[in-house]
Amino acid sequence: MNRDKLIRELRAVVGDEYVLVEKEDVIVYEQDGSIMQAMPEIVVLPGSAEEVAAVVRAAKQANVPIVPRGSGTGLAGGAVPAEGGVVISLARMNRILELDLRNRLAVVEPGVINQDVTKAVAADGFFYAPDPSSQAACSIGGNIANNSGGPHTLAYGVTTNHVLGVEVVLDDGRVVWLGGQVPDCAGYDLCGAFVGSEGTVGIVTKAVLHLMRSRESVRTLLAIFDRMDAATQTVVDITAAGIVPAALEMMDRLTIEAVETGAPVGYPRDADAVLLVELEGVREFTERGAREVHEICMHHGARQVRVAQDDAERLRLWKGRKGAFGALGTLAPNYYVQDGVVPRSRLPEIMRQIATISARYHLRIANVFHAGDGNLHPNILFDMRTPGELDKVIAAGEDILRACVAVGGSITGEHGIGLEKKAYIGLLFSDADLNAMAKVRKAFDPDGRFNPAKMFPTPITCAEMRRAPAKIPAGLWI
Amino acid sequence: MRDLTIDADRLARELGGMLGAAVQRDPASLRAHAVDGLVPQIRCAPKDTDELCAILRVCDASGAAVIPWGGGTAMHWGNPPSRADVVISLEQFNRLVEHDDANLTATVQAGMRVAALQELLGGRHQCLAIDPPDPQHSTIGGTAAANINGPRRMAYGGVRDLVIGMKMVLASGEPIKAGGKVVKNVAGYDMCKLFVGSLGTLGIITEVTFKMTPLPETAGTVVARGSLAQTASLIEALFGSVLTPAAVTVVDGRVAAAAGLQPAEASVAVWAEGFTETVARHVRDVQAMAGQSGMTTEVVHDIGHRRLWETVRDFGAVGAPPVVFRLTVPPADVMPVLAVVCRLSDGGALRYVAHAGTGTVWLAFDTPAPVTAWFPRLAALAQEYHGHAVLAAAPPEVKRTVDVWGPSPQALGLMQELKRQFDPHGTLNPGRFVAGI
Repeated sequence: MNRDKLIRELRAVVGDEYVLVEKEDVIVYEQDGSIMQAMPEIVVLPGSAEEVAAVVRAAKQANVPIVPRGSGTGLAGGAVPAEGGVVISLARMNRILELDLRNRLAVVEPGVINQDVTKAVAADGFFYAPDPSSQAACSIGGNIANNSGGPHTLAYGVTTNHVLGVEVVLDDGRVVWLGGQVPDCAGYDLCGAFVGSEGTVGIVTKAVLHLMRSRESVRTLLAIFDRMDAATQTVVDITAAGIVPAALEMMDRLTIEAVETGAPVGYPRDADAVLLVELEGVREFTERGAREVHEICMHHGARQVRVAQDDAERLRLWKGRKGAFGALGTLAPNYYVQDGVVPRSRLPEIMRQIATISARYHLRIANVFHAGDGNLHPNILFDMRTPGELDKVIAAGEDILRACVAVGGSITGEHGIGLEKKAYIGLLFSDADLNAMAKVRKAFDPDGRFNPAKMFPTPITCAEMRRAPAKIPAGLWI
Repeated sequence: MRDLTIDADRLARELGGMLGAAVQRDPASLRAHAVDGLVPQIRCAPKDTDELCAILRVCDASGAAVIPWGGGTAMHWGNPPSRADVVISLEQFNRLVEHDDANLTATVQAGMRVAALQELLGGRHQCLAIDPPDPQHSTIGGTAAANINGPRRMAYGGVRDLVIGMKMVLASGEPIKAGGKVVKNVAGYDMCKLFVGSLGTLGIITEVTFKMTPLPETAGTVVARGSLAQTASLIEALFGSVLTPAAVTVVDGRVAAAAGLQPAEASVAVWAEGFTETVARHVRDVQAMAGQSGMTTEVVHDIGHRRLWETVRDFGAVGAPPVVFRLTVPPADVMPVLAVVCRLSDGGALRYVAHAGTGTVWLAFDTPAPVTAWFPRLAALAQEYHGHAVLAAAPPEVKRTVDVWGPSPQALGLMQELKRQFDPHGTLNPGRFVAGI
């Protein structure tokens, strides 16, 4: 490629100040929330769909890869420029373009921060349901690329259930709408296929989001268990009883220890598990639901069930859960988070297996996760400075993923495949299954220009990949 | 250009060699499987995926056009096929593979009848919260392929939201799977989304895994009668409230009468379900709101509730009227759109069922005459509200004069390329999808 010519073209499109090429400028784009790193060659920050399209055309002309990037909070290396080329940051495209509360719609640019959508409509009694734990920093474009979840997606669904349409820039610079302002648009559900495609088929430049009416009442309970088995069985029984909480979160003994060391909230250190249950709906539903959840917890021998009486207490109950991720730093210098999912009926079994894997590798694993939808987050604690330890951690992580698949689960519930798990996607899908996905990719992006070396189990061909401790902005949680 | 005439005798012999008695050529059976008047030459019913793969391999190689067939309840959907040689029935794919009730999921073979599935699920206090018309005959695979949604979509989501896994066989005869049996899963592309609503043009669905819904403790419906204007004001109040109904549906007087209700210019039915106290609260509040809009209400339970929602569910599909349109518009625009439509029809032969929570408006006419005049008008009206209109049912000779899916989508080129990738020979349901895909 003629690098200088490309840089000149990009500068002509977006202006000199929005094309970064010096090492000290591009270094902040070498990593996301994962442990993968690769130094970008060129970073461009377009300000409009037209500029994105022109950048894409220039990159195509120069025959270099394109890596879209939102806020860089992804945990699977999806925004790392593994094969070099042009990183397109959508951070400047951060306007909320339209709020249509009558129709419960918001039209936003991809760089809008997730939490800002809810902030813009909360006073009118609405919210945007998908709430990834990084919602104070992550962008809607990144959420769409990764089909992000969050603790409250148990009742309300993940990103794909709340995106009606996306305007995207295709590989040749064409700008098209997939889906629209209503569901069931004529033809294939390309919007549905686009959400979760991890930046491999195009770049979203506008999105139509579905807003929800705020619920009348919220009830939050926290149950403390002496045995993990009893806690996981409680989750199974709440689900089987037909109560669908808005959130159903779990923390294990090691996480409790971290929380009580780092930012104490009064969990008993000798407890084996803490379960956080939140019900939302009309008052009659939450009152009755909370009563039944309480009974199920007691039936399984909960040592104590705390019920929030007001908003302040509710925030207190959540504080430990939200602080858990940050508090893990008090136990070990580094941790590596996995994202496997299992059928909820298999939760007790998988937690036992994770304990076995932990013992086998002599690695401590702290579990803090979305129990209600079976989405695990085992955090493997380690010290990067110990030679060979990271490899051991990755091997233990792989064992956990294999265990999840063996009970009918998946290797990722909300973080995505990216670079991190592309070697494992074959655990779930046959060559024929992956070949069908490749057909979709080919229909959108025949040259494979968008985000190469991600998701599919192909080797990385050029750039030098490195591993380093994850850089997660302070205050974020998972 | 491939030769599009096939040697049906030779093909039947080849398929017969593989399947034996499961290959049918008797004229009466073939006529019963005509699609928009086009009678196929062969009907076969594979007993498992291996047989289905073998049939597709043979058909794809010989240039035979394949029509996948579930319960035959949605065959009025789509443009008339350009060719129809072999009907492949999924009738032997009729088992519930797994109901993991503690995980709230079920895996079902595509040819299973919806009613039969609901009965098995009901035995364990769960259901599939999709209400396709004619559940005695409609199948799981057909419901997914045609993206058939019902009134409760506003509360539980549509087919695309409830499907979490699938198995399918591509035109080449290659079996693939997508998704899985966990409710949260972002491994790879979300291939299920492409197959939901693809009307059998990308592959044949053989198995679907769904999220289940617990059977509610109780259910009831408030029906409020009045003018269209009163109906609009009640719906606005309802959507401004904190209530979480399962369905909110507006019907005209004739549909109300068919549902066993007292007819009025318009009736709104508000379905509430869940805990007894939750339903009681909804009934109380909706009645109060209806009173404020000056409407008369009645509350129906049990048989009355079931009859009403069965009428709504089957509207435009069972005992099909000659012409049915489906308009999809943003939810708050349902009543303005309905008002325009009623004014245009001027008390004519129009009947409607409009789901105010999801923006789906079904219009039925008793004569085929209005299509030429009405379709462009409805398409323009829907577009004005950022929505779209589809001709859901009409006699074949009428359908041949239009594209029933309306104006081509902006991304048509991508869709055509996707079809080429998955079905390069145009074997599956040729011509029935958007712009003749």
